[in-house]
Amino acid sequence: MEIKKILQITAALSAAITLTGCSGSGAPADSETEAVDAKEQFGCNVLNVYNWGEYVGEEVIPNFEKLYNAKVNYDMFDSNESMYTKLLGGSSYDVLVPSDYMIERLIKENLLQELDMDAITNIDVLDPEVVEMQKVYDPDLNYSVPYFRGSVGIVYNTEHVDPAEVEEKGWEILRDPKYKGRVFMYDSQRDAFMIAFKALGYSMNTENEEEIQAAYEWLRELHATVDPAYGTDEVIDTMIYPDPVNYKDLAVVYSGDAAYIMYENENMAYYEPEQGTNIWSDGMVIPKNASCPGLANAFINYILTYDASYDNSITVGYTSGNKEVKDDIASGEYDGIDAYVPRSGYEKDEVFRYNDVLVQKLSDLWNKVKID
Amino acid sequence: MKSFSKMVYPYVLWALIMIVVPMMMLVLYAFTVKGNAVLTFQFTFDNFIRFFSDPVFPGVLWRSLKLAVITTLICIGVGYPTAYVMAKLKPNSQAVMVLLITLPMWINMLVRTYAWRGILARFALSGEAKVYVGMVYNFLPFMILQIYTSLSKIDPNLITAAHDLGANNRETFKRVILPLSLSGVVSGITLVFLPAVSSFFIPKLLGGGQYVLIGNLIEDYFITTGDWNFGSAISLIMAVIILISMYVTRKLDRYTAQGDDD
Repeated sequence: MEIKKILQITAALSAAITLTGCSGSGAPADSETEAVDAKEQFGCNVLNVYNWGEYVGEEVIPNFEKLYNAKVNYDMFDSNESMYTKLLGGSSYDVLVPSDYMIERLIKENLLQELDMDAITNIDVLDPEVVEMQKVYDPDLNYSVPYFRGSVGIVYNTEHVDPAEVEEKGWEILRDPKYKGRVFMYDSQRDAFMIAFKALGYSMNTENEEEIQAAYEWLRELHATVDPAYGTDEVIDTMIYPDPVNYKDLAVVYSGDAAYIMYENENMAYYEPEQGTNIWSDGMVIPKNASCPGLANAFINYILTYDASYDNSITVGYTSGNKEVKDDIASGEYDGIDAYVPRSGYEKDEVFRYNDVLVQKLSDLWNKVKID
Repeated sequence: MKSFSKMVYPYVLWALIMIVVPMMMLVLYAFTVKGNAVLTFQFTFDNFIRFFSDPVFPGVLWRSLKLAVITTLICIGVGYPTAYVMAKLKPNSQAVMVLLITLPMWINMLVRTYAWRGILARFALSGEAKVYVGMVYNFLPFMILQIYTSLSKIDPNLITAAHDLGANNRETFKRVILPLSLSGVVSGITLVFLPAVSSFFIPKLLGGGQYVLIGNLIEDYFITTGDWNFGSAISLIMAVIILISMYVTRKLDRYTAQGDDD
């Protein structure tokens, strides 16, 4: 993890150098240069932010604090579900950054407040592609502002796996006995079942009992034939620094992590199977019980600025919601790393929908797959 | 003495708020149906029926118990001879040995387990074997120290007396030292078995995610699935098993204590 930090700092520094080189292109909005006193303007100067771990640029929070003369309490979560559990437990936050289906759930359960679109003046910088995805879970676009987006795909070691084979087999390559003990599977029932559903040609949001059973059998066979390792964030280190004995050749990875892996290890490649995959986005929202909503809206507006978006995206590796930033990074720092810009507009790709009954069922089945 | 008994009240209050109330909430959740309304309860045994009707869940319970029992047995097997040798050393060397055994405990358990992950990644061991290495490593010091304490408390005159009465070394060990040190073994079992049966981060970190235990199941149902009722039912089943094993070890302890009196 230390190494990652240092690499992030170097990345941020080189980004800063590139930035000074072309400062004309990313013209910052006026609101960004003028310092504002949060206490004076909003009556409060403490902002509680709850975001994913390793999901923000080094300078983003300190700069915001300086700009608004405010204090930011920054907490991190590792899954949408643990975020939700904590929120339900009564914790008060001003800004949350959950994923699409969790935003859909929060809107449905009436836990969010509408954003103040008059305060979020930078909204036009958003990439039309990410707004298209947002419409699925926030149809009126008034509860959330996209933060990052990405897809789920396979990272593979080109020294051991032929790209043509990955492209030919898609998700099925994960079940190839040839790669026994060499597969890393993402330990989340949502992503695991998505892969099985897509491999079998079903919708990843299916409620059909037979299709669910078929997907369960598909995963059981995967478990039995290749004996995969199950994990979450470990995948990054596992693929960047292949272990001499227990190295993995194939891993299920989110696109942003894949971009980071490929940036650090040139032998790794990313592939989004033709059977379709899950495309997702995370958005900033303000819960009903926020204690400083005025500052929260200002924070969301600030994140959209070129500098903050650039810092976030270059540090973390996920695709920015800011179109200009996305284009600049894709043709600049991450040039040639195709995982940085996930596929969009492909008919077989889907956005995950919130479904309470399905979560319970798939969770039970996923535990059974792993226990066997 | 009587005035001092009032000093226990802060702890009673603490235990009431931090142990009794949460336990009661756990029981409440375990016997009710999932729902958003907090004030309407609908009692049910469904959570327990669900646990025992699917062979997968008792299977996980069995695996957790097996892991805890084997870990405890290995700890006794390795810990007893170590403690025995330690108790025979010169007093100064004994102090150094105790220091060496407690030394790793100055570092957080989680950090040490992460270190083991780095070490074990270089060996082609199964996930299960790695979990056992991590478990024994983490719990062994508790066993050694308990047995060592009871062994070092044995009056050397008793051993001399046994020899005087014609017992050879083997007989002395079997009839004097072992029975007298058994109370240390029993408290060692309590300190190793109980945490081992409910541990979840060692299997999670070292088992490559392939080794699901009852602790992992509870975590999963509370955090990922958000099914607090089923999670509570599993926790309650665990609590009952722990209570039973504590009762059994207490029985064993009493048996050995009576042996002391004879």
